[in-house]
Amino acid sequence: MFIRPLIIVVYLLVVSPLSAADAPDIDEQTRAIAQELRCVVCQNLSVADSPSEMAQQMRGIVREQLAAGKTPQQVKDFFVSKYGQWVLLAPTTQGFSLLVWVLPFVVLIAGVVCGFWFIRRWSVKKTAGNAAVADSDLLTRIRSEAASGKALDMEPEDSSVRAQLLQERAHLYAELKELEFDFQAGKLAESDYGALKLEIENKAAGVLQQLDSFSSPPTPASQGVERQTSDKKRRLNPTRKAYRRWQLATGGLFLLLFGLTLGIALTNSSRPRESTQDSITGGFLTGTGGDQSSRFLQEGKSAFAKRDWPKAIAAFENALAADPNQPEAHAYLGFILVQAGHADGALLAFDKALSQAPNFPMALWGKGLVLLHEKQDYSAAREVLEKLVRLLPAGAERSEVEKTLAQLPQSGAVRQETKPAPAPTGQQISGKISLDPKLKGNVDRQATLFIIARPAGADKAPPLAVRKIERPVFPLSYSLGAENVMMQGIPFTGSVAVVARLDKDGNPTTRQPGDLTGDYKKNPVAVSSQNIDIVLDQAVQ
Amino acid sequence: MAWRRLITTVLIIAPTLWLLAFGFTRDARYITSPLLAKEAAPFTVTLFDGRKVSLNELRGKAIFLNFWASWCTPCRAEAKDLEAAWQRVKDKNMVFLGVALQDTEKDSRAFLQEFNISYPNGWDDSGKIAVDYGVWGIPESFFIDPQGRITYKHVGGIRPALVIAKLEDAARGIVSAKEGKEDYQPIR
Repeated sequence: MFIRPLIIVVYLLVVSPLSAADAPDIDEQTRAIAQELRCVVCQNLSVADSPSEMAQQMRGIVREQLAAGKTPQQVKDFFVSKYGQWVLLAPTTQGFSLLVWVLPFVVLIAGVVCGFWFIRRWSVKKTAGNAAVADSDLLTRIRSEAASGKALDMEPEDSSVRAQLLQERAHLYAELKELEFDFQAGKLAESDYGALKLEIENKAAGVLQQLDSFSSPPTPASQGVERQTSDKKRRLNPTRKAYRRWQLATGGLFLLLFGLTLGIALTNSSRPRESTQDSITGGFLTGTGGDQSSRFLQEGKSAFAKRDWPKAIAAFENALAADPNQPEAHAYLGFILVQAGHADGALLAFDKALSQAPNFPMALWGKGLVLLHEKQDYSAAREVLEKLVRLLPAGAERSEVEKTLAQLPQSGAVRQETKPAPAPTGQQISGKISLDPKLKGNVDRQATLFIIARPAGADKAPPLAVRKIERPVFPLSYSLGAENVMMQGIPFTGSVAVVARLDKDGNPTTRQPGDLTGDYKKNPVAVSSQNIDIVLDQAVQ
Repeated sequence: MAWRRLITTVLIIAPTLWLLAFGFTRDARYITSPLLAKEAAPFTVTLFDGRKVSLNELRGKAIFLNFWASWCTPCRAEAKDLEAAWQRVKDKNMVFLGVALQDTEKDSRAFLQEFNISYPNGWDDSGKIAVDYGVWGIPESFFIDPQGRITYKHVGGIRPALVIAKLEDAARGIVSAKEGKEDYQPIR
């Protein structure tokens, strides 16, 4: 009768809490395993920390496998079998990966052992060197001489080597006496006294030996030995010197190489991460970007966004100088040229971009627009834009392209002549630049004169041509021609507006109070115009 | 003595510099697959026409397995080429199988319609097939021989000539030594 309720109570007490505990356990285990797995689409983020869709799916798989009864190790092994050891944030402690764990400790221990070995070697050398000098006869002699005060038999004015040795001997004897006194006075421990005494006595022994070699006349035998020794030294010295030089050179070379490797390779191979999906690895050796070219490209893009055309042009040109195969820089330059009214230059830039990356959407869009609006070459524009539509996934961008395509005249539209008229050569604008007499007092003698030609009707567009004259003397004659065009390959054609600015800081992109400006009163003019005289008659406030 | 020191120095310095240089030459984004020459993971995928295809059913044929998404530009760039390659080999003992991932069914269908893709395509909505094949950048293509072994892997857009060449290799059971790599887009 009581058995059934009892079973229920036991179930509630034992089984139910266990089942309830299972769920958080799996969640915790999933999180723990996900912490150890690398998100394959991120950089150094674990599957647990990554918000990416892939990481979510991987977390789901981890959970599912745990629920199916797999152990955490089996789950990790599964991912390793698909992505390799790389997928583990911490390498395993087996096989080749074991090296990663062991090597730092081995190197540390080896360093400590080497350090001890060198220190011990040096101290043994030193002791051995000193001990060799101090034989018992010499020690007895030192002790008696130090006690008798023999140290005073020297000439104070004498500066010869012997006199210096005598001075040194006197000094050491005085030290010995002082040491004895301190020891007797109880200021020194016996062990310290013994060690210090031995050290000073050894030094003194060395000095005495040198003094003896001065005072005793050399015997023929000893002369022979000395000669042999010095000959040997002479023979050994050049070798030893060369060896030392070689050591220094090798060490220096290694340090230089190491410094270059770290300094150049490291700085060129890493870059600030631009997003969580981005890599910090640069393109110096890995080919993933992040080199100088990418830096200039970034600069150019931000200048482009701010419509700072001169800065953008300079940055994109630098990017191309660093990497001539940079399609993005070509495409951006193309857009700048379109805005400046240079359709031919823009087409050239877009084609250059597409020769490097035939499916580059930005260049296709730019080329399509130029063909459509500037060249009225509808069939070519249709071809380019249709390719772009194929490449773009559904979305606002694609709708925009489709809209543009829909506006294209249907079949039967006459293809316009797309070839530009050959650029006339030798075209020049010339004239005189003078100062308004009222502003003569405002002239800065160090200022720089810029004569600028912009495409007609495009006041904010980048200049077509610029001539810079430092420290001009007014009035002056000038000419502006193809050689002053800012971008190579752009023809000096059409009509332009010519202006001049006397710039105090010599920077054409900034205008500051005190700069003087003036423009040709009948702007725009054809690029072959003469007598385009400009008066600098306005001062920037 | 000098030579011994020189050799010791070189033995210490050379591996250090080699390790440093090796680190710098690695593309941190690139994941080398351990799947080459291994048995292809079995899976069953529901095709967009409602049928189901399992890899085991395709045993005995050389298989070209392609992972893609409609939002991936390199996938769009290669789509026409893949269809062209399929037209050239469809009468041989070869199979093309596309698997869309991280995509909506609607967008995937639109993609297939847009490029007139006629070979079978399915949808990996859970991402399990992609993980089974260690996919991390798309398009990613695998070539599987008639015995069910992966013979070649290609990350990024692939040219039709290469598709056909590698399929012929797969048909003969030839395993490539290296993976291929072109423009790719990391999955999300």
